[in-house]
Amino acid sequence: MARASKKTGRNRRKEPDGEPAADAPSPSLLRARRVGLVVVLLAFGAGLWMASWLLELDRQVVSRFEGRRFSVPSRVYAAPLVIYPGVDWQRLDLGGWLARMGYREQREAGPLIVGHFRWLPGRLRVHLRGFEHPQLPEPNRKVEFRLEQGRVSEISDDRGEALSVVALEPEPISAFYGSNREQRDLIEIETVPEHLVAAIYSIEDRRFEEHHGIDPRRIVGALLANLRAGGIREGGSTLTQQFVKNFFLTPERTLQRKLTEALMALIVEARYAKPQILEAYLNEIYMGRRGSTAIHGVGEAARFFFGKRVADLALEESALLAAVIQSPNRVSPHRHPERAKRRRNLVLDLMEAQGRISSRQSARARAREISLASIALESGQDRYFLDELARQLPEVYDAELLSVEGLRIYSTLDTMVQHAAIRALSDGLEELEARLGPPATTAPGEAPARLQGCLLAMRPQTGEILAMVGGRDYATSQWNRCTMARRQVGSVFKPIVYAAALSPQSGPLLTLASQIADEPLSIETDQGIWEPMNYDKKFRGKVLVRDALQRSLNVPAARIAQLVGIGKVIEMARRLGIESPLPPVPSLALGTAEVSPLEIVTAYATFANGGLRPSPRSFIGLLDDRGVGQEHWPLAGARRVLDPGTAYLTTSLLEGVVDRGTAAGIRARGLRGPIAAKTGTTNNEYDLWFVGFTPEIAAVVWIGYDAPQPIGLPSSRAALPIWADFLSEVTGDHVRGAFTRPANIESVEIDPRSGARALSDCPARRVEFFLAGTAPETTCPRGSGRRRGFFQRLFGN
Amino acid sequence: MLRSCAHLNVRGCGTLSGSHRKRIRLTVVVWTIIHLAGCTGMPMARSPVASKVPLTVSRALGHLDSTRDASLRLVIAGLDEDAAGYPSRALASYQRAVRVDSTNPFAFLALARHHLDGASLDEAGAFLDQARALFENSRGLSDVFDTFGIGLRAGIARERGWEDEAASSFGLARISSPEIWLDEWLSPRELR
Repeated sequence: MARASKKTGRNRRKEPDGEPAADAPSPSLLRARRVGLVVVLLAFGAGLWMASWLLELDRQVVSRFEGRRFSVPSRVYAAPLVIYPGVDWQRLDLGGWLARMGYREQREAGPLIVGHFRWLPGRLRVHLRGFEHPQLPEPNRKVEFRLEQGRVSEISDDRGEALSVVALEPEPISAFYGSNREQRDLIEIETVPEHLVAAIYSIEDRRFEEHHGIDPRRIVGALLANLRAGGIREGGSTLTQQFVKNFFLTPERTLQRKLTEALMALIVEARYAKPQILEAYLNEIYMGRRGSTAIHGVGEAARFFFGKRVADLALEESALLAAVIQSPNRVSPHRHPERAKRRRNLVLDLMEAQGRISSRQSARARAREISLASIALESGQDRYFLDELARQLPEVYDAELLSVEGLRIYSTLDTMVQHAAIRALSDGLEELEARLGPPATTAPGEAPARLQGCLLAMRPQTGEILAMVGGRDYATSQWNRCTMARRQVGSVFKPIVYAAALSPQSGPLLTLASQIADEPLSIETDQGIWEPMNYDKKFRGKVLVRDALQRSLNVPAARIAQLVGIGKVIEMARRLGIESPLPPVPSLALGTAEVSPLEIVTAYATFANGGLRPSPRSFIGLLDDRGVGQEHWPLAGARRVLDPGTAYLTTSLLEGVVDRGTAAGIRARGLRGPIAAKTGTTNNEYDLWFVGFTPEIAAVVWIGYDAPQPIGLPSSRAALPIWADFLSEVTGDHVRGAFTRPANIESVEIDPRSGARALSDCPARRVEFFLAGTAPETTCPRGSGRRRGFFQRLFGN
Repeated sequence: MLRSCAHLNVRGCGTLSGSHRKRIRLTVVVWTIIHLAGCTGMPMARSPVASKVPLTVSRALGHLDSTRDASLRLVIAGLDEDAAGYPSRALASYQRAVRVDSTNPFAFLALARHHLDGASLDEAGAFLDQARALFENSRGLSDVFDTFGIGLRAGIARERGWEDEAASSFGLARISSPEIWLDEWLSPRELR
């Protein structure tokens, strides 16, 4: 201690009189000591700062790496396509499905690779990818479809055993993106083929397995290369550094960012094993864009480029993915196939040179052309459906969660029906605008308002929404006119009035053969006298109920509503699923209430379903990002709200509208089979509606301007053609099935003029339907039964 | 037949009139056709007595079109899964059957049976209503609902504790189809 004190002089004491001791240090020494002290303190401070920085970086690494590493948008899938012998494969668009799902044709011989198909004379062989599903997951399997005359005649597996039904992988229709619109399909390192890892090592970081986060040899090599080139040509970053840069840091190019990157890379390497780091890298790396969506990770890239899972990649495909990493836009195989091929071959060369593949493997892979899946860009129009789906999901799945949790949401959407709806509405509106020109209210120099529309289709028995197009262009207007808009419904409301009068609960007050006065009518209301008029301002005297609806006459409808009582009409509307406010005024009978298309189609679906009202649903189930079931909405039964007889009579009325009434244009367009429908045109032609159904599908079309203004055409010339085009594409020209005719309905021949029961000698007769016990007892009037001669019967009167 | 008559010591044999011969021949032919058809299960041979054999899902195959058949096969698969103790897979098969043909009444009948077994009584009742509405429309199938539906309705009533209704409905079901409803339960195999 004494020696130390002597050496440093630290313990020298002052003399008692306060004078410095004789061996006091010189001022220069004191200055040097002070400087030394400052340096030591600074070094200590810097050490502390460095340590706290490192701790902070470590904290950041740990918290992000061990928490939820990636925000994965929840993906929404359509319902699986089901193929069976007898199905029309062209109408189902099996070829389109293969293309959209990224299946590729395999022309070369050899076993069919998963995700590939092969056309043979009269046959289609597909190696189907397996898929997860909340109801029935399916494994990978090879299937052969025998095709005859546009239909699948037989299905067999690779052992030649006949299959009765095959469910195809559900199509992804869209995703709930967050604000940065990233899409990724997370992979686990065990599922990554060795050749993909080898390809990435070869081109991006050949010593990944050896270094500790930074690779001094690579840095020196890059420095020398850049010096020789006179600019930055080569990077010295390892995979770990690339991962750190993309995952934790911003892309700015500063020394501090570079230093942070290096330190974090060291921390990551110190804390985690190589496979963990590699897996994180493979899920994070940016791989290009699809439209406005960024593709991240090799899982999503494998699906995007090749339409397959990462585990199913071939060597040349792995090499291409590795080639793309450096500059996904510049080496995009979609936009620059030659450039991409050159770089892919460079990757293969490097793999061979580094001894990762044999020269034979390399040569074979180089010989393969780049073959990409033609995955279609998602249609923006599907997003109307997505919004509705999000509304129906349980409340715990809010928008924030949906954009990060990577859930797989299985919906009821039928892609074939949805495509038909998108096409029919888009083409129909284009054609209408071309025919009508800009609306009359367009001011000079102002862009004309665009005609808008909605098409919604539902399965009547289950309420499953099969298609929903809520507007013309989701990008410009996200307002869903199928669910959010409430517009005057016009005559499509009339069947509800008729159902109220036909129902046994009201007596029934009417039968289909009852006569209604189509004569001037005055009703006193709080606002004054209301006098409804028919569209042609004419009155026809007595008309039968069926004829009144077929011609969509206003006066008889208003009279029937008066007969039943507006309260009963409202009650019927509520039972059929209409929830919008319904003013208790006489004009309600003519559809002055504002109702959404979803409500109207639900009401009509109830008629189609024999009086059982379905609950609209768009969601089947939900799996989490590991494929574990989280939510499942089993099919729900429909609720009885109307007796089957009344539902059938209303359906029969609506069939008459199609066969002989205002919707006869449906038949003129060649559609055959059971179809029931109603036109609706509001005052001044502001809103055009067409609602109809077959036994298997109910659909509504609405057309109008968002700010109401006259369209200039009735529904039968604007909405009907769109509906007909849609149905024709979905069902073909011959609609399948028949409407339910319950046991308590009897058919009786009537005289179509008087509505009385027809005897054999009545001059004209037609079959009419009645609730049991309500058929007319009176017979056709005396004298009208005069026998007609042969020629009279042949040519009429 | 008539030639062999000579070997029989039957009075009047060989002296039959032409009309008698014709009548016997006709009877033999009709009897043979009915017998053969009965053995081979030809639908045309089903007499009113034979129709007591219930029209199950399997027997409904081939009656309408390929869409209905595909849907029925999915129902059969579901019934097999229910019988094997895989209710969630069975439910998925029934739902897929509805997706293929939403007017297939057997799919809804199977759903009603499935939900009654699972004590989801509201669902069972709703699907039974749906099945009934669809059976009423299907030509030649309208009495199928009576075979299965009345008993299922009785089962729902019993689960709800409505014993009087359950007892009377089971009574009706037993009269309609004793071989099914004696034990007051419809098994997947019986519907299959």
